[in-house]
Amino acid sequence: MAQAGKGRLNYRCPSCFMRDLDIDMLYDKEKKEYYCIRCQYTGTEEDVLKKNEMARFRYRDMMKRITDF
Amino acid sequence: MDKFIVNIVHRPEMVPEYAEKVTGHGKEENIGRKSLLKESLDIFKLQQKIAHKNGLKTTIHMTYASLFNNEAVEIAKEHHKKYGDEIALSLLGLPCKEFRDKYKTKDFCIWMFSMEEKKSIVDDVFQKFYESFGFYPESTGSYYMDAELTNFIKEKYPMVKCAIATCWEEGPKAYHTCNNSWYTLLDGGPWNPWIPSRENTHAPAANQEEDSGIVAIPHLSRDLIACYDGNGSNFGTHPQNILRGMIYDTKEWKYPYLYNLIDQYRALEKYNNGYAYNMVFVGPGWLNKMGRWEAPYELLKKSYEDGMAYYGRLKNEGKLTDMTMAEFADYYREKKTYTEPECALWKDILYGSEKQLFWYCDPFMRVCVNMDQGGAIVDLRPYAAKLNRPVGIGTSHIQDASYPFLIQEKYRAGYFTHYAGEGTVRSAKLTYQGEEVDLCLCRTKAKFSVKDNTRKLTLDPVTIEFSDLTVTLRTIVSFEEGSSCIETKRIILDMSDPHAKVELNEYMVACYGTTEYPEDMTGIILSCKNEKDAKEILYAYKCRTEELRGAKSVSAVISPIKTVVSFCNDKEETVGYIREGYAFSPMFTLGYKTILSDKEEFTTWLRLEKED
Repeated sequence: MAQAGKGRLNYRCPSCFMRDLDIDMLYDKEKKEYYCIRCQYTGTEEDVLKKNEMARFRYRDMMKRITDF
Repeated sequence: MDKFIVNIVHRPEMVPEYAEKVTGHGKEENIGRKSLLKESLDIFKLQQKIAHKNGLKTTIHMTYASLFNNEAVEIAKEHHKKYGDEIALSLLGLPCKEFRDKYKTKDFCIWMFSMEEKKSIVDDVFQKFYESFGFYPESTGSYYMDAELTNFIKEKYPMVKCAIATCWEEGPKAYHTCNNSWYTLLDGGPWNPWIPSRENTHAPAANQEEDSGIVAIPHLSRDLIACYDGNGSNFGTHPQNILRGMIYDTKEWKYPYLYNLIDQYRALEKYNNGYAYNMVFVGPGWLNKMGRWEAPYELLKKSYEDGMAYYGRLKNEGKLTDMTMAEFADYYREKKTYTEPECALWKDILYGSEKQLFWYCDPFMRVCVNMDQGGAIVDLRPYAAKLNRPVGIGTSHIQDASYPFLIQEKYRAGYFTHYAGEGTVRSAKLTYQGEEVDLCLCRTKAKFSVKDNTRKLTLDPVTIEFSDLTVTLRTIVSFEEGSSCIETKRIILDMSDPHAKVELNEYMVACYGTTEYPEDMTGIILSCKNEKDAKEILYAYKCRTEELRGAKSVSAVISPIKTVVSFCNDKEETVGYIREGYAFSPMFTLGYKTILSDKEEFTTWLRLEKED
């Protein structure tokens, strides 16, 4: 198997992101998946995007425009 | 008149910290790559164009590398003339071929070099700047400027009046976020501009004698709840940091949080005599064509354009004044006195928790009061000690530039611990017929007021329910300017049984440190005293407690951070106590117990002093 490289975009591991860790993922061309070199997460681009949406669960006011301070 | 000021800083970095690692993946390292230099300069030009398009002036922080680039120098001159931008000098962006050839190192953070090299580098970059522009800069900065570095610069180049001197709460949390590879250990400083003392950059000067001669500004204006709890680099007035935190809608690329953050900073004028401040400083690596992580270039660019457009709109509406750093330093010197505190009653604008913190900073302390824990103090930095703590190679703190804490709820547990031991917090417990309730369990809100020279935080009353008694209690926390004291008043507003008596235990669990890991507490001196008696514990992890009826003061002398912390109170009938910890709970406790009836109140003062 050839060495891994970066994918189309430089995705971070969504599992690590949820524990406040920014870790670049690498792309395995043969398996067509991203994988984390720190934890055990692997996933397609579609799965990464889905998990990134999930990571936003804590930002309940993310889209709220607040005007009263 | 109310004033909201913004400093916008751009630096032609030439070799951006991130770009070489990110865009250069799969290539041998070559910091002289022409494509990299061109891209970096193009990003700087783009940032300048966006700011000017929105009618905003900038401070151009020339890097050492950019001083070797004629085009960068000419752009700076032109923009100074045309837009009134200040030409300043950054101590970031040192890496370039010339620097590496001379210093034979890949170090790039000025505060981590040896003192000898700091001096040599400063002279090099200041002289190179002079050769390029024919004058010396009035502003400089880095992610952190240690006191010894600032003192040297001020002595040798007295025209310097402003510097970017710390990144708020960029410490162990940021280090962890970067998989323990980003060594900006800078916790414990002010979040808004201040005048650093000559002894320690984080600790503001209390008078002219302590004045380092510069006005310091923070690197970015950061969310005072989100950054305290999480990664500092996700929650600041840096549009791409908001993207890094994934705080945007991926379909429409909207990020109202950025504007909420700016607006909450604007609102801080209510607590600071009509003055509010913002700082924006985006390095070119955040706008590179390859994108940053999952954010494509188009989104990076859009976020910067939107951020600048918002500041531009505020300026057009007369709600913002854009200044260069040097202009701001003059304004700040005129506006603030040494002892005037910086205050921020900050609310959660991201997680929907309604949580509220109060941050207070003056030359004697930085304090965080948590209304979600009944007004407990959850972070305390004893600036009164003005701890001299040199950093860099050749010192005993090479990377760790944080100001030590006495209380830090994230690094030393706070109220909640796992089954054993105690965490650092300053709170109170009420006891009645064998039941005990800590005020940390009472969520509430606070209002801010100022009378004469005292800032007061009045908390909404909380209810404590025992099996046979309900108590309504109010807490008021006050800070008298220049006193080096925190006054805490508890008032029993109502009791379901007006004849009942409850015990109030005012306490502070503390230790010292700069990271999550414990320090050696051996030798800390705990004592309680009155006119006749004194009791003392020399800390040896033996889990001892001493009490003294009618104690006038309970105190701890923490020599490793040259700090004395003490408690006193306004009542005759009290019992002061001191408690040593043990190896599994390396803390100490200072406290007072007293009995209160309905409508009674009890006041304590926590004082911070420098150890003689």
